[in-house]
Amino acid sequence: MPLTVMASGLAHAADPTVEPPGGVFGALADAASWFIGLFQAGGDVFLGLVTGIIPTLIVLLTFVNALIRWIGPERIDKLGEYAARPGLQWYPVRYLVLPVLAVFFLTNPMAYTMGRFLPERYKPAFYDSAVSFVHPITGIFPHANPGELFVYLGIAAGITGLGLNTSDLAVRYLIVGMVVILLRGILTEIITARMLARRTATTEGAAA
Amino acid sequence: MTTTTKPAPPSGGGMNALNNLLVGVGKSVGGIVGTLYQAGRDTIDTVIRNILPFMAFIAVLIGIINESGLGDKLAHLVEPLAGNLIGLLAISVFCAIPILSPVLGPGAVIAQVVGVILGTRIAEGDIPPQYALPALFAIDPQVGCDFIPVGLALGEAEAETVEVGVPAVLISRLVTGPLSVVLAYFASFGLYSSSSS
Repeated sequence: MPLTVMASGLAHAADPTVEPPGGVFGALADAASWFIGLFQAGGDVFLGLVTGIIPTLIVLLTFVNALIRWIGPERIDKLGEYAARPGLQWYPVRYLVLPVLAVFFLTNPMAYTMGRFLPERYKPAFYDSAVSFVHPITGIFPHANPGELFVYLGIAAGITGLGLNTSDLAVRYLIVGMVVILLRGILTEIITARMLARRTATTEGAAA
Repeated sequence: MTTTTKPAPPSGGGMNALNNLLVGVGKSVGGIVGTLYQAGRDTIDTVIRNILPFMAFIAVLIGIINESGLGDKLAHLVEPLAGNLIGLLAISVFCAIPILSPVLGPGAVIAQVVGVILGTRIAEGDIPPQYALPALFAIDPQVGCDFIPVGLALGEAEAETVEVGVPAVLISRLVTGPLSVVLAYFASFGLYSSSSS
């Protein structure tokens, strides 16, 4: 390797004469390397995200998208009619089964259109329930909300960084999310009913 | 993919039956392949339009935060909050304040940025990993709070329902936000606990 020998010789010869840059130019050079370093680090992060997440994501999204097309999202319309029924046993249908299926098949934001099957007094609670599920579902089914993956992915990246498996986190996120949307739906329905009652009382009072 | 009802084939000929078979097989295979192809097209569209731009955004943010030393300062700020139940509850109550929640909501950008920052802190070991699950709920009680009128309109709600529904959802979040953190906290028992000291 004569070239390297020559280069190293050159470097060796040049060593004593070139001092690390000082003064104004030194400061400028330091600033420049610091500045570009920020974006090199960002580039590494970007590369990690693209190679680490995108390939699996593309295959998974393609499969689920095809699955949804085969099943036909219009089939859950019938479920909406069941969910509209009053009575305690329909609460889990209205605020658990319907939002979960709506978010899975129709995805964010079209999932909220399922509210049209419900009476007016249930609509805010259903929206609350469905919208609260668009992040817990992304841990396992990222197709439902691909624009907002990083709520889960951001924190999951930390778990991966520790060398731990994220599946456990994803499953628990999904399950706790289901419990939360049920509770949220029930509570919002109660609050909505109170507010509607108060509103009709005041309008009647004004009319009288 | 449309299936047209064909008139019954005229009698006679294995040729006709064979033809029908070939047409049927061709149609169903074509349907499956076409659906998969269309699904792939949708996927690539989503990746390019939604996912890659956000990754670029996150990469710039993380690069700057980590390399400029801002991350360490943020860590000192976040550590006392995200590393225990009280702090997480405080975050969730803050995010659920009815005036703030619609401001913090749009595109879940805030939740995603905070999620990524917390993730890097978890990776550094500043926050114990079993707090990952409650943290996911603590940073997200404002989900969809910016979108309530639109979401209700998608459900064909009347104007009166929207008027009542917006405050109803916002108030409900004040309770269910912290409640979800507590639920997640109890659900995270046994999650990554072996790695904690």
